[in-house]
Amino acid sequence: MQSRISPLVGRTALATMFALAALVIFSNQSAAQAKDEEVLSGVVVGVDTDDNGNLTRLAVSDSSGQVTTFKFSTNTQFGLENQAGDRWVSSHSDDPVEAARRLRDHRERFAPITVSHANGIAHSVVEREEGKLETNLGYLFAVFVITWALFFAYTLYMGRKQRVLQYEIARLKGMFD
Amino acid sequence: MNKVLGFLDPLLIVSAALMGVALYLIFMWVPTETNQGAVQRILYFHVPVAWGSMMGIFVVSGSSFLYLWKKDEKWDRLAVASAEVGVVFGAMMLLSGMIWARPVWAVWWTGEAKLTTALILFFIYVAYLMFRAYFPPGAQRQRLAAIIGVIGAIDSPIIYFAANLWSQAHPPLVTGPAADADSALGSDLGAVLLMSTLAFTFLFIYMLQTRYKIRKSEDDIVELKRASNAVEASQA
Repeated sequence: MQSRISPLVGRTALATMFALAALVIFSNQSAAQAKDEEVLSGVVVGVDTDDNGNLTRLAVSDSSGQVTTFKFSTNTQFGLENQAGDRWVSSHSDDPVEAARRLRDHRERFAPITVSHANGIAHSVVEREEGKLETNLGYLFAVFVITWALFFAYTLYMGRKQRVLQYEIARLKGMFD
Repeated sequence: MNKVLGFLDPLLIVSAALMGVALYLIFMWVPTETNQGAVQRILYFHVPVAWGSMMGIFVVSGSSFLYLWKKDEKWDRLAVASAEVGVVFGAMMLLSGMIWARPVWAVWWTGEAKLTTALILFFIYVAYLMFRAYFPPGAQRQRLAAIIGVIGAIDSPIIYFAANLWSQAHPPLVTGPAADADSALGSDLGAVLLMSTLAFTFLFIYMLQTRYKIRKSEDDIVELKRASNAVEASQA
């Protein structure tokens, strides 16, 4: 191998590795806690609210006709679209009244939703449409093409610049000899 | 064999190998996330490049601080190299985030806390590099740039905790010490994310090392030209 890692960059790399190791440890703890989460897709068949109109319970019927009831936590996330396709993103703590209204709208339209949940508590309630592979692949492709194009362009730029500088150094050193 | 590998840096080889493994896991192994479908796989790019962007500002800040303390040129070089690589990773973070936001939030951009603070980080990088490009060379430029670099790091913890502090459109933290159990990734998704993060970390270090060498070469040329001018003056 021609090049060697400079001590300075080596130490930086070592520090980064320690930081990453810490990230791995903490992440695995968090991931283990969330392992029991499940996902259910279906149509809304019931929306319960309290006296103030705040969403309290949701009943979803899956493709086999089985009805599952969910409660909510303050962290429950919503990503629901209206008939025009305008998306509403919020959490249960922010606007439980609007969440109930949106879910009733879904019930009337038979618009399918996906609920991620654990122990009967919904963590997220989102449009089932998002699961359509054909509508999403273009975005995934765009991210990969753009990111890799930029990385390769930058790496090529650095390689070319380094060659020019090495040539210049050799030329200047040659002037002294 | 040595002739072929001689062109390659060991870090580049490790980065490419890890990236290959990460790509295999992203497209062939990890299950498709049910809520978002295929587009969720952007996560395995978006989070690692965001991590790279954060590493960049930490290195800029740390080496700027060391430059102010030790007055050693190598720390200044490392700060410049890290700022430039950080701009690349920052641009990737913003672009991948925007492309992901479009199918999930139905907008390319929204003025919520996490996005705004991430954009500020990008502007801090750009401001740092612009300052260095336009301010006259010398110790004062390096000192002022180092101060900008140290102050710039204040933004990074704000970005990290933004989604938890201001609960808006951006999902809460899925990894790291502040991630809560409700939003943390499952074990398969988390493992792939970590593998991808490791690959991008090596790529970041490789790019940082290369940019550092370029900066060192630029400084060597300045020194050689100075010596050359001195020789010419003495001969005259």
